[in-house]
Amino acid sequence: MSERIYEILFIADPNLGEPEVDAMAASVQGFVEKAGGQVQKVEKWGKKRLAYTVRKQREGSYVLVVATGPADMVKEVERRLHVTDGVIKFITVRVDEELRKAERRKAARAAHEAERKSTRAARPAAAEETEGVEQ
Amino acid sequence: MSSTNDANPDRGGRGGRGGAGGGRGGKEGGGKRFFFRRRKVCKFCADKIDYVDYKDVRLLAPFMPERGKILPRRMFGTCAEHQRKLNLAIKRARNIALLPFMSE
Repeated sequence: MSERIYEILFIADPNLGEPEVDAMAASVQGFVEKAGGQVQKVEKWGKKRLAYTVRKQREGSYVLVVATGPADMVKEVERRLHVTDGVIKFITVRVDEELRKAERRKAARAAHEAERKSTRAARPAAAEETEGVEQ
Repeated sequence: MSSTNDANPDRGGRGGRGGAGGGRGGKEGGGKRFFFRRRKVCKFCADKIDYVDYKDVRLLAPFMPERGKILPRRMFGTCAEHQRKLNLAIKRARNIALLPFMSE
């Protein structure tokens, strides 16, 4: 089993200033590390308009934390996010499986392309014929 | 891969008919067989997007009309696989307020 990758995306209160959001991101990193995970990436998207009102707010500061770690980590981090003031919404998504699938498809496509190119070079007439059928 | 290519024209034709009918709405073209052909290729297949990311609003937004509903795939010609992924991505994006459940 390879390692699980999770994306933890949370929305901080828009009334908080930049340093407070930074501190919050740092504390989330602390949650992850305490629960036995490793933070790979922290991305701050800044203030964005929400698609609907959440806790009477129309805006929010989005922060994305990508982390690897055990399944228990998610439980712990989510519990802590629940009780953290200033976090108005969050979502955790496991992405490693889907990314791996996408990677595999990309590789398969590359192989297929290469094969097609070689056959087309060998028999250009046949390739033109199939194109005609497609149209 | 080759099997999907073979299946595409057939499926695309059906999708085109359904899409055109939905687009016209009021105008009932009973006898008319060949409408304006809608794009029959799945956008995600054409652009070679393997992973439909819920965080990418600009990717998802064109597939959601103003009302905020997810439309059936005959409207956009997305293939079954990508429609499924799109569906999941939109639902995730809604959860985190990137996309609306219902526009007011």
